[in-house]
Amino acid sequence: MPRFFLHIDDGTQRIEDEEGSELPDLEAAREEALGSARQLWAAAILRQQDIGSRRFLIVSGDGSIVELIEMDDALPRSLLDRLKI
Amino acid sequence: MAFNNRLLRALSPADQEVLRPHLRWLELERGTVLVLPDEPITHVWFPESGLSSIIAMAGSDQGIEVGLAGRDGLVGMPLLLDADRTPHRIFMQVTGVGHSIDGNLFRKVLDDHAGIRKLLLRYVQAYSTQTTYTALSNAMHTVEERLARWLLMSHDRQDNDEIPLTHDFLALMLGVRRPSVTIALHSLEGLGFIKATRGLIVVRKREELEEFAGAGYGVPEAEYERLIGQLR
Repeated sequence: MPRFFLHIDDGTQRIEDEEGSELPDLEAAREEALGSARQLWAAAILRQQDIGSRRFLIVSGDGSIVELIEMDDALPRSLLDRLKI
Repeated sequence: MAFNNRLLRALSPADQEVLRPHLRWLELERGTVLVLPDEPITHVWFPESGLSSIIAMAGSDQGIEVGLAGRDGLVGMPLLLDADRTPHRIFMQVTGVGHSIDGNLFRKVLDDHAGIRKLLLRYVQAYSTQTTYTALSNAMHTVEERLARWLLMSHDRQDNDEIPLTHDFLALMLGVRRPSVTIALHSLEGLGFIKATRGLIVVRKREELEEFAGAGYGVPEAEYERLIGQLR
């Protein structure tokens, strides 16, 4: 299975995923990033913190960025729409 | 030879000599599965070093750590409680060495030697306090606080400050996805409590880490020391 790294970028610094995880394909890596983003949101909300400026960089084994997942991508559309009113 | 396992060490010299001829020295490599869910338990292990993890399973490939045993304890507790198996999975997450004893022999020794039985039952009480505080932490504390607690528990069971653990293991310990571990390590590192490099976490400021962990750390450890003796 290919290895994917899920680095977290908050605009000013990058928190490296040093170990990466073996996942079947990019779709699985995307799901992992979205599920992780929801978990980070849950913790952030309890702290009254906004992590909307953070994003996941999905990086493949050879070091190239294959996808960006914004934290907002993990939230329900209707919730985001309501927040933007 | 003196024992490093805290339970064996706490036994009277006479009780130590009862067990000693039945103990087999062995190396416990990281990843070694000691107990499989619902399979008969054939041995009891007394680690001298390393860490074993007791996992409550959610299906066949997921679970969360509910208990930790290293040189403070034993693996194979059901045999002590007149049960021959458990739904839990138990494996070594940090390589160590230890002693094993045949399960049937172990039961016979317990029947014949009240001093050994009583000490090990007090360990069951101490261990059960540990698991209740894991429940408390899982419900009430942040991932950062739980990570701090877990690192302290791990640090208590070894001699040096370097804890060899991957993020994958920590995710299983804490029941979260790996990026939550990455962020939590980053936070504790930012506070200067630890230094995390690939596969290795170094404890830098133990007292601060204890303060940060709050109510999740301290009570089970005090209970252990009251019932058994020195933990660290």
